[in-house]
Amino acid sequence: MAHQADARRALDERGYTGTLIHGDNPLKLFEKAVRDRIIDSYYWKEQCFGLNAATLLDRAVDLTFLGGTYGVAQKPTPFLCLAFKMLQLTPEREIVEFYLSQAGEEFKYLRALAAFYVRLAWEKDEEVYTTLEPLLNDSRKLKRRTREGWQLTYVDQFVDDLLGKSRVCATTLPKLNPRVFLEDEERLEPRVSGLGEELDELEDEDEEEKGEINGNGHVSSSEEGEDSEEVAEGG
Amino acid sequence: MAERKGAYGTSTSDTSFRRTWDREEYAAKAEERERKSREEGKARHEAALAGKKFHRRASTPEDSRDTEARQARLNVADQVGKTSLVPAGAGQGKRGKGAGFYCDACDLTYKDNLQFVEHLNSKQHLINTGESGEVRRATLEEVKDRFEWLKRKREDEKAREVVDLSARIEVAREQEEREREERRRKRNEKRRKTKDGLGVQDARVEDDGVIR
Repeated sequence: MAHQADARRALDERGYTGTLIHGDNPLKLFEKAVRDRIIDSYYWKEQCFGLNAATLLDRAVDLTFLGGTYGVAQKPTPFLCLAFKMLQLTPEREIVEFYLSQAGEEFKYLRALAAFYVRLAWEKDEEVYTTLEPLLNDSRKLKRRTREGWQLTYVDQFVDDLLGKSRVCATTLPKLNPRVFLEDEERLEPRVSGLGEELDELEDEDEEEKGEINGNGHVSSSEEGEDSEEVAEGG
Repeated sequence: MAERKGAYGTSTSDTSFRRTWDREEYAAKAEERERKSREEGKARHEAALAGKKFHRRASTPEDSRDTEARQARLNVADQVGKTSLVPAGAGQGKRGKGAGFYCDACDLTYKDNLQFVEHLNSKQHLINTGESGEVRRATLEEVKDRFEWLKRKREDEKAREVVDLSARIEVAREQEEREREERRRKRNEKRRKTKDGLGVQDARVEDDGVIR
């Protein structure tokens, strides 16, 4: 068993033979413009040549930020290049799970990379939910490169984006059925939040606060901060 | 009937001088050849049915090895500030050794790192270095081993990292001392190389390169 060192053959117009994802070439999950930019980039040519699932770790460990494309020239980030490489390799399920769990515990950008891959490449919605939702308990910081400038984000926020948004890191994510829909069809158990009992307490506080607002007409600033955090967590 | 023996104790008959053949080996070879030709005929037929032309695939050389990922970043800065002698005709084209990034295996010179790295990834280069252009799939075990190694490596690096300011100054001073020693050694070497032993006198112009 072997795979090609680069993506030239996989992107050949004359036909593709290999693993299919969503019934198509996995590399086509990235848009053509992004694909071309990745293949033109120096990082791809130099660092992504000849990687396999084991040596991919070397590069993923060195990641210092995530993001899609940046700058006026819309250069792809190393994160995006490695995600592209993962789509080319289509590693076995156990390997991806290992990236997420054990290796992800140590290297946060590797976890973000694997989560991105799972969202893109796994075909069953319930599996995507059950695999990614445990990561909502991970609150490590991540640096994110935007079109111009930088942004601070967290692993749980990134995963929440993956589950909720339709466009992340210059990629249109495949359609994912909403959680409520899957719960109605009984394909998925209702989610138990990592906050546990705290969530109930927060809700109680909320109600009290509302009472206060009605009474006094203002909320103290610290409580407001907590409130917004809870909204981000609950998604 | 007693067997007839020659003077050296070897059994002889009137045809024993003939060369003997390993029939089984040759039968196996013939079978292999027939199987191959049958397969090729089938592939040819299928290609004809699909309206395509059949091309026989060139066999992979036996000693070719798998392509592997680069161990480190490509060092493109190692020639900065160096002087090298270049043959007189090396100015045109990529052929031969010239000024720039030189590939030993293919005897080509490239002027910039982008072209050079593209060449290193090219089929031509891979064939010249005896690589197959295919990468072995990693198993879960290999991935785990790699992870353990990376984790250990990172812990080692962290342990070496110094937080104390005075210790950091000490480390920097040692580093600088080492570099100065290296420069001194190079200078002495250069001096020894010249005939009179005086060394290379570098012509220094006052305010070199400053436009006033």
